[in-house]
Amino acid sequence: MTVEDEVWALLEDALAVYRDSPRAVAWLRGHQARFGEPVRVAVAGAPRSGKSTVVSALIGEEFVPTGATTWYQDGPRPKAYAGQYEVPVLRRDGKAFVDAPDAERVTVEWPSRSLRDLVVIDTPAGAPVEQVYGEADAVLYLTRHLHTTDVRFLQTAHDHPVARIAPVNTVLVLSRADEIGGGRIDALSSAKQIARRYRREATVTPLCQNVVAVAGLLAVAARTLRAEEFAALAALASLARAELEDHLLSADRFVGEDFPVRLDPAVRRGLVERFGIFGVRLTTTLIRQGFDTQVKLTGQLVQRSGLGELRDSIGVYFTERKEVLKARAALLGLDVVLRAEPRPGSVGLAAALERILASAHDFRELRLLAALQGGRTRLPGDLDAEASRLVGGLGTNPVVRLGMDYEPTEGELRHAVLETLGRWREHAVDPALDHGQRRAAAVVVRSCEGMLAEVVG
Amino acid sequence: MSAPWLDVLDDTIRACAAHNRPDLAQRLRDKRARQLDPKLRVLVIGEPKQGKSQLVNAMVNAPVCAVGDDVTTTVPTFVQHAETPSAALVRGPSIANTPTERIPVPIDQLASQVSANHHHGGDLVRAEVGIPRALLDSGLVLIDTPGVGDLRPAHTASTFAALLQADAVLMVSDATAELTRSELELLKQVMTSCPNVILVLTKIDIAAQWRRVVERNRAHLARAGVAAKLIPVSAALRLRAAKTGDKALNAESGFPELLTCVQQDIVAAADQLARRTVAVTAASAIKQLVAPVREELSARAAQGPEKTIAALNEAQRRIDELRRRSARWQTVLADEMADLVSDIEYDLRDRTRKILREVDKTFETADPALGWDKFEAWLEDNLTEAATTNFAWLLDRSEWVAEKVAKSFPVARDDLLPESIFPDDVLDRVAPMDKPLIEKFSLMQKAFTGLKGSYGGVLMFGLATSLAGMPLINAISLGAGALFGGKSIIDESDQRLRRRQAAAKAAAARHVDDFFLKFGKDCRDAARHIQRSLRNHFATLAEELQETLLESARSARRAVQDDNSERERRNRDAKRELDELVGLYQRVQALAGGQAPPLGISA
Repeated sequence: MTVEDEVWALLEDALAVYRDSPRAVAWLRGHQARFGEPVRVAVAGAPRSGKSTVVSALIGEEFVPTGATTWYQDGPRPKAYAGQYEVPVLRRDGKAFVDAPDAERVTVEWPSRSLRDLVVIDTPAGAPVEQVYGEADAVLYLTRHLHTTDVRFLQTAHDHPVARIAPVNTVLVLSRADEIGGGRIDALSSAKQIARRYRREATVTPLCQNVVAVAGLLAVAARTLRAEEFAALAALASLARAELEDHLLSADRFVGEDFPVRLDPAVRRGLVERFGIFGVRLTTTLIRQGFDTQVKLTGQLVQRSGLGELRDSIGVYFTERKEVLKARAALLGLDVVLRAEPRPGSVGLAAALERILASAHDFRELRLLAALQGGRTRLPGDLDAEASRLVGGLGTNPVVRLGMDYEPTEGELRHAVLETLGRWREHAVDPALDHGQRRAAAVVVRSCEGMLAEVVG
Repeated sequence: MSAPWLDVLDDTIRACAAHNRPDLAQRLRDKRARQLDPKLRVLVIGEPKQGKSQLVNAMVNAPVCAVGDDVTTTVPTFVQHAETPSAALVRGPSIANTPTERIPVPIDQLASQVSANHHHGGDLVRAEVGIPRALLDSGLVLIDTPGVGDLRPAHTASTFAALLQADAVLMVSDATAELTRSELELLKQVMTSCPNVILVLTKIDIAAQWRRVVERNRAHLARAGVAAKLIPVSAALRLRAAKTGDKALNAESGFPELLTCVQQDIVAAADQLARRTVAVTAASAIKQLVAPVREELSARAAQGPEKTIAALNEAQRRIDELRRRSARWQTVLADEMADLVSDIEYDLRDRTRKILREVDKTFETADPALGWDKFEAWLEDNLTEAATTNFAWLLDRSEWVAEKVAKSFPVARDDLLPESIFPDDVLDRVAPMDKPLIEKFSLMQKAFTGLKGSYGGVLMFGLATSLAGMPLINAISLGAGALFGGKSIIDESDQRLRRRQAAAKAAAARHVDDFFLKFGKDCRDAARHIQRSLRNHFATLAEELQETLLESARSARRAVQDDNSERERRNRDAKRELDELVGLYQRVQALAGGQAPPLGISA
């Protein structure tokens, strides 16, 4: 029985216990319904940390922020609802604009491949932690520079018995990475280094799965690059570097008078607003370096902006772990009901909830992963990295778990699984390891057995 | 020549000392020392990654502070004037009392050493840089600080320590986003310890929308009630202008305006600045002094007399209550003890009568001559048992009485019940029983009685048979004589038994009566003894209590009387203190040119 089956059964039991409470029933049914939906990823963060920009970049369409909690989900054609009422989706300055002033919650249906297995929630700044983490299965937390207030927000999110046991659903995003170092041309690689440092920072590691640097503005521009923009950029790139340099010193100079190319100031203003001065510097350099078609440039920008890495992280940590995240969200929801309306039958439910949390292998994997990443459990030598890979630290696909860098045949895969399983069985009883390490090894063994079942079956 | 602000500051320091606030006095003294120092410290403060170090570098046109993409500045860096460029690291005392250590380093290595600080030990407290610049000529010191709100709180702490020494503050925020709530909080915090703040908006080169951000920030400042100048600058443009010598670019960077502002508002207006700084610091100190004085005044006005009068009333009420209750407990004691004595006596009589009845029954049949000793022991046992039970009951009852009296006593105390009120030798006082006189029926007496009885028989039957011609003494008369003798012996011994039984009964009755009399008397004595000791005990307690209450009532009365005069005196003192402080505050206000907020009191 998989963890989501167990959780589903537990929800059914809870529905039976709470059948006379309409509120609890509605709440629990809502959580059951969530099982079928794609993973809900909320984008949260301080004001002006670039939440709407990252949302736009993920969807591939530029949206004007609504100022309300906005849900973006897949749909056959663009549609928007404020509460229950449909509201028009307009175009303003080339951006999609949902005309729903004072709405508390807006739902936007948008045909986008990125939304196939993802519901993106754009939260307003200052949304309470409980709301953000209650509605979403996973969270992208955006920050320009990790501030103590951000750490406090994340710590609050993890201060819950269920959340503590399965700390799995946050990816920290250093947004606006293009502004680092005053918009130098190598700002993005510098941002990636900072992200790497945060990944090792003791205060940050236990609070998130990964840290990714993203230049939101650049990512949106890349995904929505228009032909006329490309033409303008190409015209700029045709100038000699020295000639252009002075005009790229500041945004003011870029839109100023006596520009060496015939480009309307309005066009230039549009470019600098869409790309940022850093974006213009980078794109012109890239075009000069040979990425001189729109397709080439887009691919390069998506990769450089960190959007690719962000999507990978969402894939590995969120969509691939959909079942676990859904189960976790459902358990959190059930815990709320059990606390809010205790009654005789709820004691048994609480015990069952605890049992699932303690025994479900998926949660054990995640717990081990968190322990390995946080340094609470350490294995000697290379075992550390291998263990975190095997329990799904890089992805839950057996090939990724086994760390194979080519597409293996079924026989090879099976051989690799058996070989790994045998090795880890030895580690699990290795007297040289301490108790905690042997237990960690036992979890890895169980993961290998799961893989074996998957490969053979 | 002493400046007017110096007098005000000195007076405020004296007031702080007089009001037992050495901490405030020390703070003001530090401030005073700093104000007398010709150096002007300008602190560059802000959240991390806003471009603080770059701003300092651009102001002096030299890479003196470490800049980097990640958190770089870990300790405050003091940039001041020097004839030749020099740099030094100051290592802090690792243990208290060891002096700080100053290590000169080449100026081009300073940045890397500072940013490497937290990699080895992190015991640097600050870095010092000296460079020849016209800007710094007048004693201006630029202090670059670690960002506030960084994940490493040690960095932030050193920033706030530096803030206390600042004469003016350049608050740095970048133009890519408007002021955040935490930045506004920081700004307000800075304003309380140093009112000369210029908000510098950096990185306007990369922010296309910086003009809108400036507008919004102005609105934020207005809403927060912060009067600070706002200057947008771009360090990148300035540094490039310095490299290329491009005047226009320099103007575009916004730095000329910033430097003019620093010159005019900070350097030239040093005295004005000193006044403002002193005014703010002194005002905040005076406010802290005024608060307790005002509190005292209002507290005294509001509830001073009521409290003491309430205490007096309470004391009176308790004395009355004690009087009323002491009459009650005495009655309770007398009544209960009378009941107790009569109950005990009845009980004793009942028990002894039962014993006597038993004795009667026994001696209906039994011969006291046989086993008198046993009987005596039995009687003694029974009487002792009766006495014990009765006495135990007496003790129980008297204990109960003591509790009851204690209950009706006006106060509850642990030592209300006396430890021991009972005489312990009651049981020893009963005398041993007298043995009754017991007649023994000896062989001689038996023979004599037999002869006496047989004589009649022999004579009677001898005479009768002599009629038949037999001699007087014949077989028949002798037989009858023997018969008669035997019967009279039996009769005689029966009579003697009766007599013995009667005597035994009488002896037992007498003994029991004796016992009853003696023990009854003892019991009554004991009861009286108990009553007396209880009465003494409780009376002593009541006296003590009364004395205590009277004392507290007396002191309450005294307090009410004293209070009036004392209160008036304290009130006068407090009013005078308040007047002095208000006067001082007005001088402070005058110093600040009416800029300090009103104190909000009416003395």
